[in-house]
Amino acid sequence: MNRLFIKIGLIACACLLFASALGMAADTQTLAEVRIGDSKGDWGLPNPYHHYQRGPGYVRMSWIFDTLIWKDKNGEIPALASSWSYDPATHTYTFRLNPKAKWHDGKPVTSKDVAFTFAYFKKFPYSWAPVGYVQQVETPDDATAVVTLAKPFAPFLTNIAGTMPVLPRHIWEKVTDPKSFVEPEAFIGSGPYRFKDFNKTQGSYLFEAFDDYYLGRPLAKRVIYIRTGKPLASLSTGQIDVSNIQPDMAEPLQKKGLTIISDSYGWNKKLMINHRKAPLNDKRFRQALAWAIDRQELIDKAHRGFGAPASLGLLPTDHPMYNPATPAYPHSTAKAREILESLGYVKGADGFYAKDGNPLQLETLSSSLTVGGEQTPDRDGEILKKQLEEAGIRINLVQLESSTTDARVVKWDFDLAVSGHGGLAGDPIALNDYIRPDVAPSFVNGARYGDNAELLALLEAHVKEMDPAKRKELVFRIQEIYATDLPAISLYYPDSRAAYNPAKGIRWFFTQGGISGRGVPIPQNKMALVAR
Amino acid sequence: MRLFTRMTWMPALSAYLLTALALVYASFALPRLLPGDAFIAMYGGGHVAMEAQEEAKIRASARYNAASESFTQYLGRLGRLDWGTSTAYETPVFGLIMHALPWTLLLMGTAHLLSLGLGFILGVEAAWRYDSVPDRLLTSVMTFLEGIPELGSGVLLLLVFALWLGWFPAAGGETVYSGLSPWERTLDILHHLVLPLATLVLAYLPGNALLSRAAMLMTLRQPFMLTAAAKGLPPWRRRYAHAARCALLPVVTRLGLRLAGMLTGVLVVESIHSYPGLGTLLFQAVSLRDLPLISGIALFSSLGVLTVALTLERTYQYLDPRLKQQRVTLHAC
Repeated sequence: MNRLFIKIGLIACACLLFASALGMAADTQTLAEVRIGDSKGDWGLPNPYHHYQRGPGYVRMSWIFDTLIWKDKNGEIPALASSWSYDPATHTYTFRLNPKAKWHDGKPVTSKDVAFTFAYFKKFPYSWAPVGYVQQVETPDDATAVVTLAKPFAPFLTNIAGTMPVLPRHIWEKVTDPKSFVEPEAFIGSGPYRFKDFNKTQGSYLFEAFDDYYLGRPLAKRVIYIRTGKPLASLSTGQIDVSNIQPDMAEPLQKKGLTIISDSYGWNKKLMINHRKAPLNDKRFRQALAWAIDRQELIDKAHRGFGAPASLGLLPTDHPMYNPATPAYPHSTAKAREILESLGYVKGADGFYAKDGNPLQLETLSSSLTVGGEQTPDRDGEILKKQLEEAGIRINLVQLESSTTDARVVKWDFDLAVSGHGGLAGDPIALNDYIRPDVAPSFVNGARYGDNAELLALLEAHVKEMDPAKRKELVFRIQEIYATDLPAISLYYPDSRAAYNPAKGIRWFFTQGGISGRGVPIPQNKMALVAR
Repeated sequence: MRLFTRMTWMPALSAYLLTALALVYASFALPRLLPGDAFIAMYGGGHVAMEAQEEAKIRASARYNAASESFTQYLGRLGRLDWGTSTAYETPVFGLIMHALPWTLLLMGTAHLLSLGLGFILGVEAAWRYDSVPDRLLTSVMTFLEGIPELGSGVLLLLVFALWLGWFPAAGGETVYSGLSPWERTLDILHHLVLPLATLVLAYLPGNALLSRAAMLMTLRQPFMLTAAAKGLPPWRRRYAHAARCALLPVVTRLGLRLAGMLTGVLVVESIHSYPGLGTLLFQAVSLRDLPLISGIALFSSLGVLTVALTLERTYQYLDPRLKQQRVTLHAC
């Protein structure tokens, strides 16, 4: 009998707990808090030497560390530097700093911090802001920094002044090993938010407002990053306030009252080609591949129409320096077959080509990719296989996990690989990374193409060309050559969307040209949370 | 009563020790077979490129050379109770596991207990009412549920309860940085626990219910049940105190066998619900090719399962004293 009562009691307690858990709302929604959703969660500790190398890692660091110049909804704005000027004769930039800028520990930001940062990044390189060209930095007074370059560097204002976080000298001058410096002082910056916590197992970040921020009052007391694999459900329940979403999710979320924003094209799907291996080392063969691919079909079948065909010159079609005369390859299987036949391939009875008895067969690697920080499955491989086989090329499609694919691409152990990357909306200096052969071996998104001397010379030249019109000409020519040589084939730009809850009063936006000079396509610009 | 004699525990213990050693080797060797390496996993898809010499410097650092450790060094490390440092998180592996373990234990433990208790009671009651409408209804429902994988039921529950109805959160173990009082925090954790727990219970319950029902049916036919009825005992006492105790044995055995698949089963559910347990941690460790962490989790969970199996074996002897001389039984009395 006693046992029965105990059982009943336990069941009653369980029901009570269950009922109260149901009734309790998990979220206390006030403007005191803004929650951002992300599917990966862990992007490293938010300082220059610890954040992961992808866009979301940089963005988390940017909440804490300010740069000299920044971008808001409408374009370039003064940040730590309230004004700046350039002297072409001496390749010198003069920055006048904002006197109100303060570090999180209360000390003022001076030109000595700026000079120190340039020197420190020279000693301990930070790949997002390469300061190799900087010859010296003078500080005539606490509010002026004069930066002299060894050579003219066209993207200096966007990619260094607009990307390089300024470090506090009084903290970092004693640090000899920045990679192992993870004390709380390592996260003292001059940005609108202070770093409070990063929970590795939960994949969550906590930032708290820095009320003395010199550009304006932060609009939310706390910024929290939450890991969620289902942004649609999390946005609907109010668990998060903003997140990148798949374009299909836009309609149901709009019906629930959320605002949807779209980005310009900054991320492309690309077919990586092993141009060191026959038959892919012949550019006519690569052109045949381009003719055989129907980019619109890829968009329609794998992405339900949400996307636009890519320019084969690598820069997106809405980029300020896009070349409208870039060679295009409108889908034509006939033209592809014509080129293959001119190269000596003979069509067999089954419709597939062979040369000297060797069948034409290529291995294509395919894997799920990270788009703007979110993992998306990849179906393009199957459609590409169908299109290329229609042109008579046998394709052996191998689906692999992304790190495995990357490892093989690094070692040049592949024929074709379906891949993708962003960073195209920023300054065209990104083209250098995505083309040149001497880039670090682990940079799998680069074509590592050194066969065209004119192309390499142009890549060096456009970076030093300060005249915007002349530089545009050079970049136009780069796109033309790239689209003719085709070391890699850009396929399409998927539509990029984000949704946010407008009831909170924050207007999130996609930064023009992406966040920082490297074009990060994420709508988490800190200026959305600063009252100006 | 002596729970075990020397005759029974010596060979059993040595078998377990051998298994433990084999598991240590497997946890060392298998992760090293993964293609790709931690450096590419971390820097490969990077947004910006480094210079070649900078990459060479980082590649040569100790952090990215965990794969060069030999088995003897690994054993030595474990002997010092040093589980190693995670390549990706740069924190001790043991700390990371201890942070994630409570979440997995909460989820797994509650799921197994609930499905064991509920499944057992449902099976017993159904067997008692053999061939009636409730019994047939239960059998068909349980068979149907048995066929639904956790992947499907998890997403379905999320769709209905998180997206449409909005009753439960779609992700997480708790509301992070909420600053709630301990009581509110407990309720919050329970609130987040409901959907993953429901997914797991729906996965484990049918098997337990059907097995208990089958075991119960075999037990009910035994002569001693007739004796119990003749003694005039009330039905619920006959069901539970007499028959169910025998039917419990195969169910507990099944629990022991199912525990081996604990980590893989919970990995799917944790990923779907973004639950911060060992499953999610292992998934991320594999994506990042974090060898020390993968080895650590694999070793920890396999040794954990071994320990629980050993404990369960002792429990059998308590449940059924006849087992002092035997090993494990798969059938009821």
